[in-house]
Amino acid sequence: MSLFVQALVTGLLMGGVYAAYSSGFSLIFGVMNIVNIFHGELIMIGAFSTYWMFSLYNIDPFLALPVSIVSVGVIGYIVQRVLINRVVEAPPMISYLCTFGVHLILSNLALLLWSADFRTVTTSYSGVGFGVGPITIPIARLVTFLIAIATTYGLYLFLEKARFGKAIRAASQDKEMARLLGIDIKKVYALTFGLGAAITGLAGGLLSTYFVIYPQMGLPYTIIAFCVVVLGGMGYIPGALLGGLLLGILQSLTATYLNSGLSVAITFILLFIILIAKPQGIVGKGIVE
Amino acid sequence: MRYVKALLFIGIVAGFLVPSVLCAQSAKFRIGCELPLTGVFGKDGNLVKDAYTFWADTINATGGINVKGKKYPVEIVFFDDKSDKAESAKLVERMATVEKVDLILGGFGSDSVFAATPISEKYKYPMISGGASSNKLFERGFKYYFSTLGKATEEVRGCVEIATILNPKPKTAAIIGADVLFSALACEGYRSYLKKAGIEEVYWELFPISLDDYNSMMFKVKAKNPDMVLVGSHLKVALSVMKSLKEVDFAPKLVAFSYGPTVPDFVKSLGKDAEYVVAAAEWAPNMPYKDAVFGTAKQLNDNYFKRFQRYPDYVEVASIGGALVQQWCIEKLGLVPPLKEADRVKLMEELHNGDWNTVYGRIKFGADGANVDHPPIAVQVQNGKLTTVFPKDAAEQPVMYPAKPWKERK
Repeated sequence: MSLFVQALVTGLLMGGVYAAYSSGFSLIFGVMNIVNIFHGELIMIGAFSTYWMFSLYNIDPFLALPVSIVSVGVIGYIVQRVLINRVVEAPPMISYLCTFGVHLILSNLALLLWSADFRTVTTSYSGVGFGVGPITIPIARLVTFLIAIATTYGLYLFLEKARFGKAIRAASQDKEMARLLGIDIKKVYALTFGLGAAITGLAGGLLSTYFVIYPQMGLPYTIIAFCVVVLGGMGYIPGALLGGLLLGILQSLTATYLNSGLSVAITFILLFIILIAKPQGIVGKGIVE
Repeated sequence: MRYVKALLFIGIVAGFLVPSVLCAQSAKFRIGCELPLTGVFGKDGNLVKDAYTFWADTINATGGINVKGKKYPVEIVFFDDKSDKAESAKLVERMATVEKVDLILGGFGSDSVFAATPISEKYKYPMISGGASSNKLFERGFKYYFSTLGKATEEVRGCVEIATILNPKPKTAAIIGADVLFSALACEGYRSYLKKAGIEEVYWELFPISLDDYNSMMFKVKAKNPDMVLVGSHLKVALSVMKSLKEVDFAPKLVAFSYGPTVPDFVKSLGKDAEYVVAAAEWAPNMPYKDAVFGTAKQLNDNYFKRFQRYPDYVEVASIGGALVQQWCIEKLGLVPPLKEADRVKLMEELHNGDWNTVYGRIKFGADGANVDHPPIAVQVQNGKLTTVFPKDAAEQPVMYPAKPWKERK
């Protein structure tokens, strides 16, 4: 029984990690209809920002998170302004090619700058956890989980209540009408991309404390983020949290009671089922066009 | 008119002679090498690149390979297979048919080398690898593939036999490993040596190398509470396993890896969390090995540090050993560049016949191309340094055993 509870807790915490790095992907897709293939590279840059702050200046990874948020947010904003804005209204294939190109550029640039070395952020409290009865809870993952919930809720509130959040929603729902009402669509798109990237950078910084990081780590993360977002509903922000948690728990239970190989396969099995049976995601609020 | 004829004659003679003189001056061995310089094995591939570069620099510093008193420098052309085995095969084909290199140095990673060697066999290029040792590489009847490492299943012998000198002797063990050729076979090796050592195997799992989260699996291992955790690994897997062991708060009495901890980045990345870790190795700087080119094992170790500001991993020294014996064969056979197919056939035969003592230790290839003689060394991270702990007669320090629980480590 304790193994089952431990598997649930492990899955829940892993789900938090998935949700943390998928919500930015969902936001960008929801507003611009862009499947951002270089999403994983934003995670990588966020992780490396934290790593360099820690290894060069001995700044605690959690204190270095603002650097990850700002640096990745700025990169996202600039790439959107310079490149994505030019293809945002083009057929989807053009934006896939554009973001794929950025993926190649960023990962190879990182490789050139930082070499293919595997790096980890190991602090005095790395891997430290606490026990609740027989259940072990790693602190860094718990923090990620809580931040994922807070980010999703904060983003949801921002889009619902804040003036700029409403402008983002307006731009995503009917951009022509939003334009007529005086909303600067290009600015909204760039800031949304920057915001999505900043959230992703935060997730990258967090996961650098327990995962191995390297320049070419990005693509698998993009694939997982895509699966999580499809599961929760494309463009539906709370869906990223739901999808992440569901995937995390399913993977953990599969790894615990079947094997780890199947836990990787389950991601794609689930993606396949959802795309066929419920393309709007598990709660039916995703965008399907 | 007479002068014109004389000048014309001189011009014609010069036209024939100058290129041949230039050619003779620039004659060198052009050697191709494809390695995973990026991707999941990128770090490991770059280590092997450093090793070959070190060998080439050392040889070129003396003028090059000495063939009948004449020196021929070596030039290595590196290609990146991006940790993709299909790319490995394509690159070997390119080296043989487009680049038309004189020689090919062996790559890294059993999967890549497994894919690349049918091509080198087809074009009759001897390929000696110091970074691929899966048994399946030697079961195909190939004549042109050689490995300076022992077979993967045997490479981990020291990690299990070390149990014979531990007190109290471990009674149970869990085996986990990435499901790729080398690490899966290393796990098979663990299994067979555990049986011989009378240690009960309580857990077995092979997982995809793409696995990100190890915690679910590690909690299952923890539930079995084995005395030893034996891991079939490369560097990334080894780092991930250590991170996960700490996160799930499980410190087995002994944790051993088939590969990873001997790569300098392992200790650098994990710091004190790397303490107690045991790893299979086939070379250590305190071993009594030496040759005329690189000196003693310790001298090689020190010179390598001067060149790269880090010490070599055993795979790097195994790669140097391979390049060195190939060089000696060329010198013995008196082969000069550009090498023809017939030359490479002779080279292959000489590699099968030879028996050398090198800075890496004895190299003697069996009929299947595997190195027949290699001692099962085990090293342990002690105070941030890799220390030889097994076999007992080669040990620098006794094994630190059992490992302390995570919470008791400072």
